[in-house]
Amino acid sequence: MNLDWSVVWENRGALLEGAGITISLAVTTMAAALPLGLGIAVLRESRWRVIRLLTTAYVEMFRSTPLILQIYWAFYVMPVALGLRLDAITTALFGLIFNIGAYNSETFRAGLRSIRTGQHNAGMALGMSPFQVFRTVVFPQALRRVLPALASTWISLFKDTSLVSVIAVGDLSYASLQLRSQTFRVFEFLTAMAVLYWAMGYPQAKLVDHLHRRFKVTE
Amino acid sequence: MTIDRAHATALPLLWFREVEKHYGGFTALAGVSLQVYRGEVVCIIGPSGSGKSTLLRCANLLEPFSSGAILFEGQDITRAARPASIRQRIGMVFQSFELFPHMTALQNIMSGPLTVKRTKRVQAEAEAGVLLDRVGLAGNAQSYPSALSGGQQQRVAIARALAMHPDILLFDEPTSALDPETVGEVLAVMQKLAADDVTMVVVTHEMGFARRAADWVVVMDHGQIVEEGPPALIFGSPTSARTRTFLSHMHSAH
Repeated sequence: MNLDWSVVWENRGALLEGAGITISLAVTTMAAALPLGLGIAVLRESRWRVIRLLTTAYVEMFRSTPLILQIYWAFYVMPVALGLRLDAITTALFGLIFNIGAYNSETFRAGLRSIRTGQHNAGMALGMSPFQVFRTVVFPQALRRVLPALASTWISLFKDTSLVSVIAVGDLSYASLQLRSQTFRVFEFLTAMAVLYWAMGYPQAKLVDHLHRRFKVTE
Repeated sequence: MTIDRAHATALPLLWFREVEKHYGGFTALAGVSLQVYRGEVVCIIGPSGSGKSTLLRCANLLEPFSSGAILFEGQDITRAARPASIRQRIGMVFQSFELFPHMTALQNIMSGPLTVKRTKRVQAEAEAGVLLDRVGLAGNAQSYPSALSGGQQQRVAIARALAMHPDILLFDEPTSALDPETVGEVLAVMQKLAADDVTMVVVTHEMGFARRAADWVVVMDHGQIVEEGPPALIFGSPTSARTRTFLSHMHSAH
């Protein structure tokens, strides 16, 4: 087997550009899915049944279907069904944000519910409004508890962005797979792709391990 | 016989009038009427499940009640535009401390003034420092609750309640969750507050404290007040048979 690694080096620009898109997809998705998840988590505890029902339906729909289907659906079905046509990268972002938002809402909900009512009462007894109790007492504690879980979601998200390559968004996967089929250098490009994902993902995984240790709950 | 109640005025600071609370078929409070005057220490004693804590929590609107009224400085608390405005002026100390675990002792004490009163940070911090000193924990400003003993946590919780400059402090069994060796330090702080004429309502099983610090003792059983009076009378010559039974159980238990 003769390997030609120079072809990888020659195409480093395209690969790095793909890696850049992978990073921005993950960052943008998480930036939007955190507030979305928190909002949904709060609404799921709403007094109004309709709101609870709608938000629950949203979460269960996105948690129970594969992400790749959601991306395909947004790209091929949504334009027909809803008459809403977006470019590939926007479609990809919507798919990712709604998917990760659903997962984040479950994480936040578990965290918020884990704070005992005594803490809520203590804030109320000081004269805080329900919102002030949420902001200064309940949410900061819940966030600390779920930070490791959110970090794990981030790691999955970072890798799952590769699925958007199916609708021709030029992320690292798409770039690598395109180069593979153009050059027929399957071994080289799949290896390069693996190395790049690993080089980006491994430090993050280590950081998550650190977060798990750092934010172990002590009371 | 008229019983002298030194702090009595025309208008009680906190006034329970025929307060009833029912959950389902259970009656937690069966028409409780009680006056608490400014500067007074009222201890509520009685067997577990007699409604003492429920009464206290109703006064702070942490629990709704079914009928009757609770007046704070003559104002019906359930008619307040915002419950928070009443709670600001009524401090509460919980059995389980409920310090905020993500804040240091100092931050816990500052949390009320900073969030609710929008006090300037420098001022809030200075006041919190003074309060920590007052509860004997000046050296623990930067400690997180998890690093403090139960007694220390409860003293911080008292300082946190005091930071709002409340008109009255409610204590819900403040020493019941403590190791025996730390009960004394909390009671000592409370006794000091009593000496400073802080108005307090204390639900407690500490008969020694009630005897020493209370101006007025209230005995509750089955959601009702069975007897009330100055400690000398309640502990010396109780008139109610239920009080006598309760006190004899407490004595044999200690």
